Amino acid sequence: MRKSIMIFSLLLALVVVLSACQPSPQATQPPAAQQTQPPAAGGEPVEISFMAWGAPEELAVWQKIVDEFQAANPSIKVTVEVSDWTSYWEKLKTLLSANTPPDVFAMDAPLYLDYQSRGVLQNLQPYIDQNPDLLKDVYPVTLEAYKTPDGYYGLPRDFQTVVIFFNKDMFDKAGVPYPQPGWTWNDLREAAKTLTQDTNGDGKVDQYGFTADLWDMELTWSEGIWSHGGEIISSDKTKTLIGSPEALQAWQLFYDMMWKDKSMPDTNTSGQYGLDLFQAGIAAMTPIGHWVVPGYATATFKWDVAPMPAGPAGQATSINSAGFVVAKGSTHPDEAWKFIEFVLSPTGQTRLTELGLAIPVLKSVAESPVFLKQKTVEINQQVFLDSLKFAHMKPVFKGYDEWSAVVGDGMATIWTGETELEPTLNDVVQQADAVLAKNK
Amino acid sequence: MIGMLAGQARQHTRDPWNMLYGLRPLGREKFWVFLLLAPTIFGLVVGAIGSVIATLALSFTNWDLLTPPNWAGLSNYVSLFTNPAFSKALTNTIKFSAVYVPGVVVVSLLVAVLLNRPIRGRALFRTLFFLPAVTSAVATALVWNMIYGKDTGLLNYLLEQLGMQPVCWLCTKNVMFAVVLVNIWGAIGEGMIIFLAGLTAIPRDYYEAATVDGANGTQRFFRITIPLITPSIFFQTLIATINAFQAYDYIYMLTRRGQGDSSFPVVVFSIYRNAWNFFNYGGASAQAIELALIVVFLMGFYLWLERRYVVYE
Repeated sequence: MRKSIMIFSLLLALVVVLSACQPSPQATQPPAAQQTQPPAAGGEPVEISFMAWGAPEELAVWQKIVDEFQAANPSIKVTVEVSDWTSYWEKLKTLLSANTPPDVFAMDAPLYLDYQSRGVLQNLQPYIDQNPDLLKDVYPVTLEAYKTPDGYYGLPRDFQTVVIFFNKDMFDKAGVPYPQPGWTWNDLREAAKTLTQDTNGDGKVDQYGFTADLWDMELTWSEGIWSHGGEIISSDKTKTLIGSPEALQAWQLFYDMMWKDKSMPDTNTSGQYGLDLFQAGIAAMTPIGHWVVPGYATATFKWDVAPMPAGPAGQATSINSAGFVVAKGSTHPDEAWKFIEFVLSPTGQTRLTELGLAIPVLKSVAESPVFLKQKTVEINQQVFLDSLKFAHMKPVFKGYDEWSAVVGDGMATIWTGETELEPTLNDVVQQADAVLAKNK
Repeated sequence: MIGMLAGQARQHTRDPWNMLYGLRPLGREKFWVFLLLAPTIFGLVVGAIGSVIATLALSFTNWDLLTPPNWAGLSNYVSLFTNPAFSKALTNTIKFSAVYVPGVVVVSLLVAVLLNRPIRGRALFRTLFFLPAVTSAVATALVWNMIYGKDTGLLNYLLEQLGMQPVCWLCTKNVMFAVVLVNIWGAIGEGMIIFLAGLTAIPRDYYEAATVDGANGTQRFFRITIPLITPSIFFQTLIATINAFQAYDYIYMLTRRGQGDSSFPVVVFSIYRNAWNFFNYGGASAQAIELALIVVFLMGFYLWLERRYVVYE
């Protein structure tokens, strides 16, 4: 007995010693990591890794882009890894904390500052300075999110504007005219009322006029607040402004549509229809981005897109982008940059557009048949580009993930009908400001 | 008789060798025992104990995974008491466990007793009850979502056929019972296997003797089955408690809303979200330590109960 205790304590001591010997992250980063190794002339190609989130079919497209890139740059070999959204961020954070990040990786614009401010990204400004024409053809609003006082640490590769998707069959059946450019939230509200119906006559509503994700700001409520003249967050990122009188008008609109008109299902009602009520043919209208187009293309009903409606302060939509960054510890930043340049070239952008999920950041590609006449489905793709005229950038700030959780979780009880709008909103603003203060 | 048996059990638990096999390795055998156990012990020490120590150490730091951790003292532990989101998660976990653990023990014991009888289709029923254990929790939770639907769900359809009012099963008021029910349903299979093993080990003669003495079915169940199956009940309660505090998959799939949000957040959910979404690895570690301490405390309590009430033959 005593012997086994002794052995156990010896082993325990070993553990303590082992864990003490563990290299602390960051400390062991080799100083040589910053130096670029020149590609061996004619010898082994330089290998860089690229990681992105996406569905399995996106891997095939990235592989195609990589093949073309490698054909043009025989001295560089790129390995691609694509994982689903959740696994991607877990993997990325683990690799970053172990100091073995991929050379190039995908970045979601709102999360960008959470990484950039922690010093894990390479400043790309010196490269951009060498090739200033690179960004000439890029939509300027897509670049805003990546700007920092000392230059760009990342660049957008494609973007999303939010528009209204509508079910033409439901509109036809109810005799409601299709949404016209310049329509207002009032028009939308009236249309939604008419489109909300009990189609099988069992006394229960089974078709809703409007459905929207009210958890995250991107699809519905940021558009609502902007079009009513409000703001999301102060320009110095210290104050949450979603409780202002203007913003309250927007919240009230959604609240009334849900609880007065009942033309928009509450979360408990929508939950029983799965994740997407528009695709399921339950709701007639929904605001969402271009990424749903390939999925909706298989729908059994006819549908099209219309611009976001106007409020008292005019039209507004949200623009968000997916981008690229280079890891600070990358041993081959020059080659990594070359790959980014290639994806931003007309060839790379054309391939990405053919995937059908997003809008290319290069004007010349977006305004060409490659984007406007996509094979997946015949819809008015121009609406996505026209929306740029009144698009607001989805706010980018440190602590975004936690802030949006506090707001989304906090407001959720309104959309289940458990709490009242104004007291909940005031409470949420306070909690959200606390998150901002913590992340200063 | 029970007192005597309990006394023996006490002696057993004091001596690990006797508890396992009733045999003691002698002399050179000990060397081989440790040699053969070494790979497992090494894995446990480095993998399990190592990460426990790492978690403990990290709980005293602020760490965002990307920049070096810095000393945070007890601040992560203080915020366990001041963070309303965590308090909500902890309350939910405790409430959930308080209903789930007795529920799963009682239901799976009843199922095991019923399926221990020579009824027709016994193998089929056993398979059916075990099926959830080998099916993807995510897939079955989606099916349960449809069953629980407010307007379109199967359960409310049945209620309406019986002339009752439909219930919003996944609304805040009822959500805990809805998820407990699914979790119990999912755990019956494994509990049933454990109890069946215990039941088949009870000698038939005891029942025969009791029947001859005039004991009826209820008496036989409470006087013979229950006392002799206490080791299984003890084991099943232990496992159910650990599972209850780690329950996550069904709960998340039934209560998720928005991006990674849940209307019934539990502690495991809170740990995950703090570590991976909020760049708060230190806080997540402190929450994990608190969760572990609660489970350890409960295990201690169970072991105390075991000495008093569990009968080893």
